[in-house]
Amino acid sequence: MIFIAILIGCILGAIIGMNSPMISYTYSSYLAIAIIAALDSVFGGISSVIKKNFDLKIFISGFFGNAILAILLTILGQKLNVDIYLAAIVVFVWRMFMNLGTIRRYYVEKWSSKLTKKESKDEKTKNIASE
Amino acid sequence: MLEITNMSNMINKKKTSIVLGIMCFALTLAIVIQIRTVENTNSTVSQNYEENNLRAEVLKYKERYENKYKELEKAQQELENVRQKATQNNGELEEAENQINQANKINGTTEVTGPGIIITLTDGKSMPNTLNPNDLIVHYLDILSVVNELKNAGAEAISVNDQRIVNTTGISCSGNIIDINGERVGSPFVIKAIGLPEYLANLSRPGGYLEKMKDDGVDVKIEKSNNVTIPKYTGVISFKYLENIK
Repeated sequence: MIFIAILIGCILGAIIGMNSPMISYTYSSYLAIAIIAALDSVFGGISSVIKKNFDLKIFISGFFGNAILAILLTILGQKLNVDIYLAAIVVFVWRMFMNLGTIRRYYVEKWSSKLTKKESKDEKTKNIASE
Repeated sequence: MLEITNMSNMINKKKTSIVLGIMCFALTLAIVIQIRTVENTNSTVSQNYEENNLRAEVLKYKERYENKYKELEKAQQELENVRQKATQNNGELEEAENQINQANKINGTTEVTGPGIIITLTDGKSMPNTLNPNDLIVHYLDILSVVNELKNAGAEAISVNDQRIVNTTGISCSGNIIDINGERVGSPFVIKAIGLPEYLANLSRPGGYLEKMKDDGVDVKIEKSNNVTIPKYTGVISFKYLENIK
C-alpha cells in the first residue's frame, strides 16, 4: 500500500511537473537547495526505518522544515553576500552519504547472513548425507 | 484486543501512505520543474528576473505610445479635412488656411519634398594601422557641423535619420549614439536636405568639413537628388514662457 502511494505520487508529480510553467532562473537556486534538503530527509527516513526508530511526525517536519530552512539560509546568504548554500549542500550531501552507508550496511549484512545460513544449512545437509 | 491493534495499524498505514504519497508528489514535482528550468535557461543569455520584468514593461509602454501616436495622427488628418471643408468657399478663411500652411512649413510640422542632397556618414572600419580609432566615429559635433554648413548653403529643410531639424532641435552626445529631438539615432547617419543641389553639394569642397571627415577615415557619401522627401517633426512644440510684445 505504501509503495503504491509512493509510485502514484511520483508519477503524478512527474506528469504535472512536465506540464507546469517554468520558474524564473533566480528562484531555481532556491528550489535546488530545497530538493537537496528533501532528498536528505527521504534517505534519513529510510535509514530510520531500518534502525526501527521511524516517526512519521519527525519525518514530515524534517522534510518540509529542512527544505524551508535551506531556502531561508540561501536567501540570507545572498543578502549578506556569503555563499551559505554551499554549507547547506555540504551538510546535506554528507548526511545523505551517512544514511546511504547505514542502508547499505544493513542490506549487505542481511545478504551475507543469509548466505552464511545457506552455507551452514548446506553443510548440515551434507553432513547428514555423509553420516 | 488483537483486532483493535490491527485496526489502528490499518488506519496508521493508510495515513502514512497518503502522507508519503503527497511528499513524493512534491519532491518529484520540484525535481522535474527544476530540471526543465535549468535545461531551458542555459540557452538564453541573461535571465535575470528583474531585467525581464523591466524589458516587458518597456515593450508595453512602447506599444501604448505607438497606439496613442496613431490616434494622434488620425485626429490630425481629421482636423485637416474639417479645416479644408470649412474654408472651401470663403476667401478670408482661405487666406488663414494658407497662413497655417506657411507656418507649418516654417515649423517643420509637415512632410516636404523637393530637390536636394542626401549625405550618408558611416563609422569607418578599424584598420590595424589606425592611429586614433576615435577619428573613425561620427560624433555629434560632426553632425552639428554638417547641419550648420547645410543651413549656411541655403537648405530649407534638413533631417538626420528621419529626425526633422526644427527650431527646438538639439543634437547631443548620448554615449555611443547621438540624441536628436530626444530620439536616439546611430550610424549610419543619413542627412537629407532640400535646397539647390549644386549649392548643397559644395559641402564636399576641398578643405570643407566633409573632406576633413573623409581624411579621418569616416565613410562619406554625397548624392544629389531631384526629389528628396523629408518627414515632419513628430514632437510637440510648446511655448511656456514666451509672449508676444503688444
